[in-house]
Amino acid sequence: MALVKRTHDDNLPSEQQAGTPKTLEELQQQLQGSHPLERRQAAQDIVDHEGATALLLAQLERETSAVVRQVILTSLTRIGDRDAVFGLAECLRSEDARLRNDAIEAMKEMPDQMAEIVEELLADDDPDVRIFTVNILESLRHPHVEQWLIDVLDHDDHLNVVCTALDLMGEVGTEAAIPALQRVGSRYEDEAYVQFAADMALKRIQSSAE
Amino acid sequence: MKRVLIIDDASTIRMYNRSILEAGGYQVEEAVNGMEGLEKALETPFDLYIVDINMPKLDGYGFLQQLRAESIDQAPAMMVSTEAAGRDKEIAYLSGANLYLVKPTKPDELIAYARLLMGEPTQ
Repeated sequence: MALVKRTHDDNLPSEQQAGTPKTLEELQQQLQGSHPLERRQAAQDIVDHEGATALLLAQLERETSAVVRQVILTSLTRIGDRDAVFGLAECLRSEDARLRNDAIEAMKEMPDQMAEIVEELLADDDPDVRIFTVNILESLRHPHVEQWLIDVLDHDDHLNVVCTALDLMGEVGTEAAIPALQRVGSRYEDEAYVQFAADMALKRIQSSAE
Repeated sequence: MKRVLIIDDASTIRMYNRSILEAGGYQVEEAVNGMEGLEKALETPFDLYIVDINMPKLDGYGFLQQLRAESIDQAPAMMVSTEAAGRDKEIAYLSGANLYLVKPTKPDELIAYARLLMGEPTQ
């Protein structure tokens, strides 16, 4: 039997091969298609449609292709509305570590939108959500980052959250952070890591001030 | 002298673990993400890996999966996470970790587990 070289993907629906669907309904259908290529295309094309955020977030939760997931995240970052950033924040509660990491990376690309919800996330009941939020602050390049970290050092009652904030304070802290670093050292005087990290941060701040 | 590779994107954690392990008599090297860790492991295998989970470029799971799947090194690996819930424990073991710990580790605890994993007397 002769082998026939396939010049296009027979599994793709005909409209996908002929051109891009334009309506939101068509894109929604394509976004849930069986082929990753059509889902990827839909995730790109849907950006300018009203109502795209909810559809992209719903697909993000069930998406199995890493490539399509990345395009969905890029589209959500481009849309950048309040629903997109809140939807990504919900991903921080996911059991799927890759989804959580992807959401963290996407949220780092949305400094202005993230800034609006940082305080809410830092007050979340789930300490892991607070830890991931501190991880996002690392790349946020926002003028309030140091004050948010000071608040964590002073008020958060979970050691792991405090330690994560200390790691970052060691990199971004200024003289304004010195009292908080001293206070957290006193608050956790039996924790070797807190003592080490607070001491390192204080030394770095003091040496850069000289 | 046994060699330990610390793979963590947090510089303070790397310095903290290094200070404890060096005081315990180990030679320590560092990598800032899983990809750099793989490159170092490819150059020279280590006696123990201490691996963070959430890192840019290649996370701790990806590092361990490639380390094991590509037979780069079968040396023991301690996976450490800042996450409070410990919900990633199962995937850590499935990825090839020999031990899962939540950061921050206490100095005597880190040394005891390192010795245990490397088959040394813990007392």
